Parts: sequence; C-alpha cells; structure tokens
Amino acid sequence: MLDTSKSVLSVFKLVKAPIYSHCFSIDRSLLAITCNTDCLVYRFGGGKSPQLIATLPDHDKTVTAVDISIHGRIVTCSQDRNAYVWEPLSDGSYKPTLVLLRINRAATSVSWAPNGYKFAVGSSARIIAVCYYEQENNWWVSKHIKKPIKSSVNCLSWHSNGILLASGGTDGYVRVFSGFIKGLDTKEAVSNSPWGEKFPFGAVVKEWYNGSFIHDVEWRSNIEKLAYVAHDGTLTVADSVEQIYSVNAPEGLPFKSLIWINDHEILCAGYSCHPVMFTEGSNGWQFSKNLDKVGKQSLPQSTSEDGTDDEENPTFGMSALRKFKQLDLKGRVTAAEQESAHENAIVELRPFEESNGQVTQVSSCGLDGEIVIYAV
Amino acid sequence: MEDWRRIDIDSFDPNSGRLTNDDLIPPYAHHVTLQELQPKIAQLRSLATSGDMSSATKLATEDPPYSADANTKAVYFQAVLEALTQVRQADIATIVKQLSPQQQDVLVKYLYKGMSLPEGQRQGGILLAWFEKLTQSSGVNPIVHFLSDRRTV
Repeated sequence: MLDTSKSVLSVFKLVKAPIYSHCFSIDRSLLAITCNTDCLVYRFGGGKSPQLIATLPDHDKTVTAVDISIHGRIVTCSQDRNAYVWEPLSDGSYKPTLVLLRINRAATSVSWAPNGYKFAVGSSARIIAVCYYEQENNWWVSKHIKKPIKSSVNCLSWHSNGILLASGGTDGYVRVFSGFIKGLDTKEAVSNSPWGEKFPFGAVVKEWYNGSFIHDVEWRSNIEKLAYVAHDGTLTVADSVEQIYSVNAPEGLPFKSLIWINDHEILCAGYSCHPVMFTEGSNGWQFSKNLDKVGKQSLPQSTSEDGTDDEENPTFGMSALRKFKQLDLKGRVTAAEQESAHENAIVELRPFEESNGQVTQVSSCGLDGEIVIYAV
Repeated sequence: MEDWRRIDIDSFDPNSGRLTNDDLIPPYAHHVTLQELQPKIAQLRSLATSGDMSSATKLATEDPPYSADANTKAVYFQAVLEALTQVRQADIATIVKQLSPQQQDVLVKYLYKGMSLPEGQRQGGILLAWFEKLTQSSGVNPIVHFLSDRRTV
C-alpha cells in the first residue's frame, strides 16, 4: 500500500490485468472484480489486504461487467454473449445459473435493479436485455429493448423506482427506457413521475443527442436528474424539462465514469487517471477540485539546462519524449516523478461509504489492475 | 466450416442493420442551403479584404453550416480558408485568445479540414501556425472535441 495524498485512503494492486468493473456487497465485506475471463471475489475490510475467497470461472471470454444485488447475488456478463447469476451458498461458494440473453454480440454492461429481482444487460448487438427470474420454469427470462438503439450500449443506470432505465451508447444518444415488468413492478412506483404518464416495457421515455460515445450515465433519483459523461470530455446534467448543463473536463481528456456525491456534486474519473469533482453553483455546473492530482511543481524542471528544449507548453505532448531523453542521454531515471494512485485510466467509480445522502468515500478500478479508495 | 471466424454473421440476419454513414449524421432540424449561406460568405470576404481579421475569424467560426451538403460546405470552406490564410503570423495568437471555446472548436475543424485537402496543404505552414497557437491557449480540449464530434464542416 502506498500513500500518495490525503484523498487516497488505500490502494490495492490485485491483479496483473485490467479491471473493467468492480462492485462491493451492501455491507462492504465482499469485493467482486472482473479479471480476464473470470470474476474474482475477495473478502474485504478489517484493515487487511483483500483475501481471495472465490473464483467464478464459467465465462469463456473477457468478463466486461459485474454487479452485486442487495440480496448478495452476483451477476456477471461477458464478451461470450452470456450472463451468469451467482447465488451465494452457505459454504462461501457460488452456484451459477446461465442467463440466455439471446444476443449475437458481446455483453458490455450489467446493472441490478434496486429491488434486486431483475437486472439489465447492455450489449453491442444494439439490444438491452432486461432479465428477471421466473419461478415456474426455474429460469431467468430476458426481454429485449431494441428500438431505436443504433449502436453498442455502453452503460446503464436504474432509477430508484426500478422502472426507468437510462442507457448511453456509441450512437451518441442517452435514452431513458421503461423497464416495467408485469407482475414484478407496480404502477404506484411511477405515479407522479415527472418523466411521463404511462411506462409500457421498452418505451422511450426521453432521449438526448450528444454526438460522441457515451461512457457512463447515472441517475440522481430524488431530484429526478440524470448525469452522463461522453468521449468529447464533457459532463452533462439533464432533467425531465430539458434543462441541460454541460461542462468540459479541465484537462480535456474524457471521463469513463461518474457518481453523484450529493445533489449538487458529481465526481468523474477517466483517462486523466485521477478523480475530478464538479459542483453546481448559481452559474450551473462547474469544475471545483481535483482529487489525487499530481502537482506540476513536482515534475522535473531540469530540462532547460541543456537548452535544446524549445517547447513552449510543457503540458502538451512532449513530456513522454522528455522522459525518454532523460533516460537515454543522461541515464537519469526520473524516480522523483510522482504518480497518481492509478497509473492507468480509471474505468469505474462506485460509492463506498455514504451518510445522510452524502457519499464520503468512493472506490475506483482501473486498467492498471488496481482498486483505490478515495475520501471525498 | 474451418474458417468460421470469417463468416459474415450479419448477412444471415436481415434485422441486424449495421450502422451506415447515414446513421452517424446528427438529427438536423433544418438543412442550410448555399443560397442562405451566400450573404455570410460575402460578409466574410469583405471583412477579410478590409483587413479586420479578428471579426472575420469570429464570423467564420460562428454557426458553421453543419447541416449543408458537401458542395455548400466546400464553398464555405474556401471562404474560411482565404480568411485564415490572410492573417499575419504575429496576429494569430491574439485572435485565438479572443475566440470563445465554441468558436475554437469550430476553428480546429477547419484547420484539420484544410490540412486534409490539396488547397489547404498549399497553405500548410499557416494552418500549422494557427494549430500551434490554438493548442497553446486551450490545450487538448478542442482536439478531443474534434475527434468525437459528428458535426462536420
């Protein structure tokens, strides 16, 4: 464990492969991560490093996403076009049930509905599969949302009412669908919803065009707002009456994930390898602070001595070249160069600790195989 | 079936509907025609000839004809290129700083378009000078926007 700054609480280097997705159980005692074609489950907490307690091996292609329901069921989905629901058994092992998604492309994202009785899977087959358990047949049934999705679905988010399902994808649209399942959901859950009157399954409740790949979308249900991040490096917040705020990433690099900290704060993270906080003020949403950002003053400034460095803007493009120049000509390894806790892009943020509707700690996973916990 | 990875599975599925170029065009409410654009082009030319380069650049990068057809875009681009290449190198940095972030996003689109066409490549030096000043003042932001924006100029 290394301590790089006050905002970084702990860093766990778990695997030598990218972690595309991670999830904690409700009581934060279990951590599930994706690792190549497996899903790994760790016992977590007590100040110790995570202990591997189970490997969920049934997928035969890269596992793309994992989620844990409020009942402790783990769902995984993979590029092998399948999803598995893993039922925890009393001896600590897991019993897999295959879910036939009926898609002909990779599954990309998965999310349990808040009540834990259904989940949605996004896929590159331009389909969202909403899956629920059918007692009579002992079988997970999947119902498809197809229209009008034009390309891969990257991300999904359930509203706390369990019916509205937000999705974003590579066609540049953010859409809100109805994931209403007869017999499972009640109409009372969406009475007085500002998003509409009727919610038949698969109906498009709302859509916004952004134009670039949508990487993540997240509801803030109590204030009926939706936030999303896209590949043009923007964070956008929208609500049911078409009020839209868009704000640029301060470093220009796109975000891969976002979470709401409270009603007026959003934390984003992505290719800049450290989380970035945005705050809603009287002028709309604005950048407020960086977490775990490596300060510019800590970068080596010794390059001007040889006089060959004629670049005018050190933040643009040349830092890698300079690093190798140092290494090659002078044999100097710039060990003084401080890295942020994540050494590669952060791909997913999750709330880790909450009190009174305010997230106080968040966890992240990255392409460097690390899980990092930050204090907000 | 030895080479099953090469089988085009979409051809067996009539509903697969792969993305076409048309699917990537943003949903425009109105398509700008060359006729509607002529006054703006004329204004741009007169600003450029009168030497008011700051206003000319602002006008060129304000509300570009995204929804127009290829021919109209080419005519408009020609006018923009003429304006951009008449600016003296020393003035570029000042003009770039006067642009709004949205205008800078549009400017970088015209720079890339210029570099991709023969008539722009003949003026490559000055386009690169614009590009250099732009990245110095705004970092990679306009470039990231350019890469991911489906509204083309």
